Amino acid sequence: MRRAGLLLLALLAGPAQAAWQWDAPLEVSTAVGPAIFPHVESANRQGLAVAGGTVGVVWEDNRSGAPRCYVAYRPATAPAFAAEADLSAGECYEPAIAPLDGAGRFLAAWEGDGAVWVRALPGGNPVRLSVSTAAQATLATHGNQAYVAWAEQAGRFKRIVVAALAVDGDAVAVRVMRPIEAAAPTDEQAWPALAVTAGGDVVAVWEDRRHKHTVPYGSRASAGGLDFAPVARISDQRSGRVDGLGAGLGAMRPTLAPWGADGSVAVWLDKRDFLSGYDVYAAFEADGRFGKNQRVQDSFGDNMSQWHAKVVARGDRLVAVWDDARDGTPDVWLSTWTGEGFGDNAAVPAAAGPGEQGDPLAALDGAGALHVVWLDRAASGTRVRYARAVWK
Amino acid sequence: MKTILLAAFMACAAATAWADPPQGYPFVDYNAGLKAAKESGKPIFLYFGRYGCAWCDHTNKKTFSDAGLKALYSDNYVLVYVDAESGKRVTLPTGERITEAELGVRLNAFATPLFVYLTPQGEKIVQIPGFKTVQDFRDYDRYVRGGFYKKQTLLEFLGGKS
Repeated sequence: MRRAGLLLLALLAGPAQAAWQWDAPLEVSTAVGPAIFPHVESANRQGLAVAGGTVGVVWEDNRSGAPRCYVAYRPATAPAFAAEADLSAGECYEPAIAPLDGAGRFLAAWEGDGAVWVRALPGGNPVRLSVSTAAQATLATHGNQAYVAWAEQAGRFKRIVVAALAVDGDAVAVRVMRPIEAAAPTDEQAWPALAVTAGGDVVAVWEDRRHKHTVPYGSRASAGGLDFAPVARISDQRSGRVDGLGAGLGAMRPTLAPWGADGSVAVWLDKRDFLSGYDVYAAFEADGRFGKNQRVQDSFGDNMSQWHAKVVARGDRLVAVWDDARDGTPDVWLSTWTGEGFGDNAAVPAAAGPGEQGDPLAALDGAGALHVVWLDRAASGTRVRYARAVWK
Repeated sequence: MKTILLAAFMACAAATAWADPPQGYPFVDYNAGLKAAKESGKPIFLYFGRYGCAWCDHTNKKTFSDAGLKALYSDNYVLVYVDAESGKRVTLPTGERITEAELGVRLNAFATPLFVYLTPQGEKIVQIPGFKTVQDFRDYDRYVRGGFYKKQTLLEFLGGKS
């Protein structure tokens, strides 16, 4: 009888639902104060990476009196982040970081002195990549492939340029560098994101204003070269005036991750519902074509703005993160791909509750663990914080 | 000559194809505006628009085309235009350096246009989203420059105006 009761209870309980299980959060930056302002924004929101179990975080803050970039590491077995080091010597903005190999080495890129720079970490020297005024650097690495993209002045407007790098120890050199489109831009291009597919192709997305409003665009180059296919919009919304007014709806900050057998997935902020602020939208790419757009946030996130969206993917795991204030104050939210759609939204526990927690960065490591960095804002100062989760 | 004419035509076509600050108004960027306001003591009228925004275009054509409004705002405010999706850098009165798009996050801007009135020191007085008429902007001007914002909310002020 007792056994039958236990069986009934087990049946009623149903299968346990897997979810992200979080470790205790950690502090990343040692400089905190009411007049110190850290920023983790970068093209593809790429300030966090994991290489061989070592977590690397880059950010910019003004502790020295000017915007400078810093990098902090947490080796796999360390209980905390080591004190940060300078990433560059001078003014620095919007740093990005990507894993180089399984030995805890990274590649970093940033804007400094109006140019885009790259270096191997922890030991390499900075190498200038851009020729003209440039900004918004982003990275993609896969095996022995390493790529950088940025927005560079080409006449009146900026356009997206991509470089394939050769990395030999701490030495970084450019193998090939070219704009995605040979023709001069007819309006601004900005905020690129790159992904290297499982087959080695390079996919790029970016903000493009050729239709006189901001549209996320994309293109793909076959493995081994940077010959990008004709570009195409990744948004399934049309450009055009409404009752003779404007030029089209808003969208911004596309992010990108490799996905599946040989594709990628993009996530961006989209204002197609123009009365509720930006929403988080996604599109899956295969063979250079982006599919039907899908809304990522659930209905509890309606009627408010979502900000700072970022997608990460590895193996069969795909996660989108962002922040919104559905519970009254900004919190960090995430949605995990279920195989059929984006799942119910869940708050990152240490990045939710009273106060302001936002600007999330994310990375998935080789074991499938999710790493998240965010900014925790308070009157006493803004902290750069980190937490790790496993799916079980 | 043909090239010049084509370029001129393209420039004119482009100028009418998207929403930018209303024509003829002395709008400046955020950093220049904050500096000018501190020097002049004038309040700031910040127009938070979006490239291609239809309602911004509508407001420019229907409201900011009014010559009297143009004179009222050009004479009495430092006019600042911010692009909701731009990565251009601005420095807040706190000294924090953010992008124009990030300013939208801080303002919780869920729609454009968004109009923000600021003190000459850059402190927010009130923000008002969406299309507004000439009379609306005249009322907001009385609320701001009349100093009523120090004692009343905008809704209280507007409720008592008649």
